[in-house]
Amino acid sequence: MKNSKGKMIGKIITYIIVIGLAIIILIPFFWMISTALKSDADIFAWPPEWIPRPPQWHNFADAWNAMPFSKYLSNTLFIVILGMTGEMISETLVAYGFARFDFPGKNVIFFILLSTMMLPFHVTLIPTFVIWNKLGLVNNFDPLVLRSWTAWGPFYIFLLRQFFMGIPIELDEAAEIDGASPLQTFYHILLPQIKPALLAIGVFTFKGYWNDFLGPMIYLGDAEKYTMNIGMYFFMGGPNEPPKWNYLMAMSTIIALPIIILFFAAQKYFIEGVTFSGLKE
Amino acid sequence: MERFAGTFGRWLMTPIILVLIAIGLYYFLRRIGWKHRQAMGFSLISPWVIGFLIFTAFPLVYSLFLSFTDYNLFNKPNWVGLSNYKWLFTKDIEFWKSVKLTLSYAAITLPIGVIGSLLVAMLLNKKIKGVGIFRTIYYLPAVLPEVAVALLWRLFFNSESGLLNYMLQPILKLFNLGKPDWFGDARFVLPAFAIMSIWGIFGTNTVVFLAALQGVPRSLYEVADLDGASAFKKFWNITVPQISPIILLQIIMGMIGALQVFTVAMFVRPTSAAGKFLNQLIYERGFTQLHMGEASAIAWVLFIIILALSLLVFKTTPAWVYYESEGMN
Repeated sequence: MKNSKGKMIGKIITYIIVIGLAIIILIPFFWMISTALKSDADIFAWPPEWIPRPPQWHNFADAWNAMPFSKYLSNTLFIVILGMTGEMISETLVAYGFARFDFPGKNVIFFILLSTMMLPFHVTLIPTFVIWNKLGLVNNFDPLVLRSWTAWGPFYIFLLRQFFMGIPIELDEAAEIDGASPLQTFYHILLPQIKPALLAIGVFTFKGYWNDFLGPMIYLGDAEKYTMNIGMYFFMGGPNEPPKWNYLMAMSTIIALPIIILFFAAQKYFIEGVTFSGLKE
Repeated sequence: MERFAGTFGRWLMTPIILVLIAIGLYYFLRRIGWKHRQAMGFSLISPWVIGFLIFTAFPLVYSLFLSFTDYNLFNKPNWVGLSNYKWLFTKDIEFWKSVKLTLSYAAITLPIGVIGSLLVAMLLNKKIKGVGIFRTIYYLPAVLPEVAVALLWRLFFNSESGLLNYMLQPILKLFNLGKPDWFGDARFVLPAFAIMSIWGIFGTNTVVFLAALQGVPRSLYEVADLDGASAFKKFWNITVPQISPIILLQIIMGMIGALQVFTVAMFVRPTSAAGKFLNQLIYERGFTQLHMGEASAIAWVLFIIILALSLLVFKTTPAWVYYESEGMN
């Protein structure tokens, strides 16, 4: 009897903590949208206003039109689609190579691949910039999308490899007895089995290119080629000009929305994808 | 559409070139005596190998070389020996401040992030109603773009009318204190970042720990229950050893991430009196002032700091990281 009472109290405490933390997480989201809907005068109202009265819905359209965001959106989408396509195709093939074939030096190469995850990206940043500069491709989208074909996401390769290794090798062998080549086996037998992983990586890479700030900041000097994130930087104001907070928050909401929708849509597979990688050695 | 055409063409050409190289490589390897499947496997991973050589291995060596030169993007790099490093270590007014700020930031945020996300994951691992909804909410911080997060924080910490000072008002009044100017006053910058790091507990870190917790065999807990072990004992003697490889992974990745803050700092804009993060310094020296030699030197110092700290963490692993295969002996 005593025990069950203690359990009950424990449960209630658990719920209070879980809900409390959820509120802490949701407050910034709420605040983002609330600020987006405020008039210039209300942003710094004291005490802070939770729900703006009346909500300035036109802030969204005004922010969008204050800069050529339609153009920035098409630039961003161009980078996202090209980068995602290149990465997903090349990483899947590379992971297949690591998972199903044996060749001299494989373990050493895989170890090097994993250790590149630990390399600070600023160490290679300057020489990489110099390479693209020598090729005359700075101020172009090239530095942001061409590399995608070289499977440059070590974590995604690792995750895909784990997935491939979870598929019984007998399936491959059966296909090969039927006369399928390794690439046919890959396409017809293995690829359909790793859909959750592909979806998870799709979400990850989409988010990576969509949210990238440093890359476009360094490589895209030409205003014609700015991405949404870079465009937003203009609302930050300057030494004598305060940031346009309502516009910044309106654009942040617009930029965050596709990712949130994508995540909710792919949620089940997404968590599965991360969980499966097992992360258990 | 014109602005896309050139890149799109080159983007289409790249995989064709990579495939041709892979095919050439296959025939070359067959000729030197590799078996069909060996040559096939190496050809499959060749795009990564090529990318690694061009965009990682070469830049790594080249940036080390640049750090000994006065390269400025336009002139040929001139060898200047150790003078970039000498300048940084002895004369530069920003460098040591940067090192201190970056290291203190990592030292404060890493424990909060790792311990916090483990505790939150344990909470979400309990049998509670609507756990799916909570898991989704707890993942949300990873969904929001870093830029948006940084902007939100700036607003939140605003000295005059930010939410934080509003919430702190009763406490501040009690002690008769003014509103702290979080990012404007050098004394408050680190505490502000510590508060921010609470946000980093949620998101990917929590999901990864959750995955690890679900991999711990239930039978271990059942046996402990039979022995009447307390909740803390179960946590310390079963959970921690079982997930210790993931704790190690989180410490290493968290540390590397913390030492590389950039985007958040660029948008939050803490007062320069508190110093700049090393990555900000690299960006400023390299891309704003075009002192690429000096920037490379800073990048290498950061690289060596990360390597040294990682090695230090790895050195301690035999004492606390438990691998399944060892347990068998």
